[in-house]
Amino acid sequence: MTKTGASLMSRICLLSLLLSALLVCAGILGMARGSSEWEIGAILKSLVRMDAADPVLTGIIWQIRLPRVLLAALVGASLSAGGLVFQALLRNPLAEPYILGISGGAAVGAIIGILLGLAPFPGVSIAAFAGSGAALLLILFMATGKTILKNESLLLSGVMLNAFCSAIIMFLIAITQDAKIHNIMFWLMGDLSMVGLKQVVILAALVIPCFVVVFRYANILNLILLGREMAQTMGVNMRVAGAVLLGVTSFMVSATVSQCGLLGFVGLVVPHFFRRLIGADHRLLVPACLLGGGAYMVLCDMLARALPAQGEMPVGVITAIIGAPLFIYLLKRPDKK
Amino acid sequence: MALATILCLPESYAKTVTDPTGRTLDVPDTPCRVVALAPSITEIVFALERQDVLKGVTQYSDYPADALKLPRVGSYVHLDLERIVALSPDLCIAIKDGNPKQVADRLTELGIPVYAVNPFDLNTVIQTVEEMGALLNATKKAGQLADNMRARIRRIDRLVASTPQRPAVFFQIGISPIVSAGTDTFINELITRAGGKNLAAGKTAYPRFSEEELVGLAPDVVIITSMTRGGEFDKAMAQWRRWDTLPAIKNNRIHLIDSDLVDRPTPRIVEGLETLARLIHPELFAEETPKDIP
Repeated sequence: MTKTGASLMSRICLLSLLLSALLVCAGILGMARGSSEWEIGAILKSLVRMDAADPVLTGIIWQIRLPRVLLAALVGASLSAGGLVFQALLRNPLAEPYILGISGGAAVGAIIGILLGLAPFPGVSIAAFAGSGAALLLILFMATGKTILKNESLLLSGVMLNAFCSAIIMFLIAITQDAKIHNIMFWLMGDLSMVGLKQVVILAALVIPCFVVVFRYANILNLILLGREMAQTMGVNMRVAGAVLLGVTSFMVSATVSQCGLLGFVGLVVPHFFRRLIGADHRLLVPACLLGGGAYMVLCDMLARALPAQGEMPVGVITAIIGAPLFIYLLKRPDKK
Repeated sequence: MALATILCLPESYAKTVTDPTGRTLDVPDTPCRVVALAPSITEIVFALERQDVLKGVTQYSDYPADALKLPRVGSYVHLDLERIVALSPDLCIAIKDGNPKQVADRLTELGIPVYAVNPFDLNTVIQTVEEMGALLNATKKAGQLADNMRARIRRIDRLVASTPQRPAVFFQIGISPIVSAGTDTFINELITRAGGKNLAAGKTAYPRFSEEELVGLAPDVVIITSMTRGGEFDKAMAQWRRWDTLPAIKNNRIHLIDSDLVDRPTPRIVEGLETLARLIHPELFAEETPKDIP
């Protein structure tokens, strides 16, 4: 291994270690704060010595808050990595699953699933995946001209698709006249509160292989960023790379959307933050987005539980409040190129 | 599972019951910590006089007034799992039409038995009262409540049967949009039982109406629920008054009714039925001696 290779390796390890520590801290914070009031001391005690603590508290921490924190970490990682991949692939800093309409497609699928009375898993999840797959195909179809990955047309297609999906969602809500509406509304705003450990394990089994694929493609993402022709001369098969990355990313996104609804702008905030911090090397950015995105989502979820005096707000509200202004800032910022 | 053992003594889980949704569960012989997952459940527990075991209720559980003092566990459509568990209940009572199924599933996973009731008409409301009486060791009180409800319903049936008149009733749930209740609803059953003809009868459970359609329907009686409170009712009245050729307006038969009496499946629904009967057929009640009026 060359010297630069070794130093890159150590940089990846160091970064991963630091961000893992951050993720663990966020996790502990997330497990310490909930809607029922307990002293932080009791919680720390329960975390350290499970047998000595109040069994109700132990149950709450390990069976309610832990799955939720794990879910938030997985969701944050998926959406951030998804955003990162889309931004590189489309060479557009504003690309993000939510903005491209992939999430919207998954949401339409999932809502149809809910209205048909399917079980949350696997029924609604499969419907969501079908929806996001259809959205992706539609985006690709609309954007297919001379080049499949021509970025402006792809992004514009995504924006239009998103508007279309919103209209379908509104239509479905307008024709639905029963109690399911409340469920859909909460779910649309992004809700992590009802997930058990079983679903978290299933989601992990679905998305962690995708993380590995994305990491394997990190260097190719670097080359793609240099430009399509450049990447091809460097031996990247753009068709295959594009198909694999788009497929894997939308799979990951629809898996998370079906579990917890629409969480916008996560894929925008996290990659941009880390790009500012550690530069544009995707071999570093991919692990940073996975771990940092997880930590970000865990913290957002904690805010969603801590901010309201009574009950909790959907975490999608928090991510959108942080994310949308950033999107506008990125739009207005003079191009540095 | 670990949770269940600490919440109540294991040997107290003596009864295995099947709830109306078909779920089989073990419930304690004498539940001592009950969480009611909907306002109607709270009302029934109070009606059964078992509020001593009630440890948690949902938002909007406002009847009777004492229910307001109990800890809240979120709203019935968006329950707060953690708060429920923190109350260490040995029984949660849910309602099929309203509580999301995931909540019941999650609570069951956490070792808390969830009994889901399913009242969908007057008969099943009475059944629900009896079932909950059996669950909460209040069979006698439940029997009294059920008998009282049945007797009062029979009395309305008798009165209504004495007249062939079936005034056309428009029941307005929302001001904007204007929403009414279709055939497959409590409200439809109440209107019909109270001797009215529901103008919104039809397959759609909660159909929307345009103002134009309302004028075409020409209702004899308009009933507006108080879910739309205060000034909203005056606004709705003003809206209706513009159509002064309609029979309901000419005869001044626009009425307000407390929505809790007609949409909560509790013993109070009989009061809703009686109120509706009075509004639709005031003539049937005119001849009654005051002591007949409950």
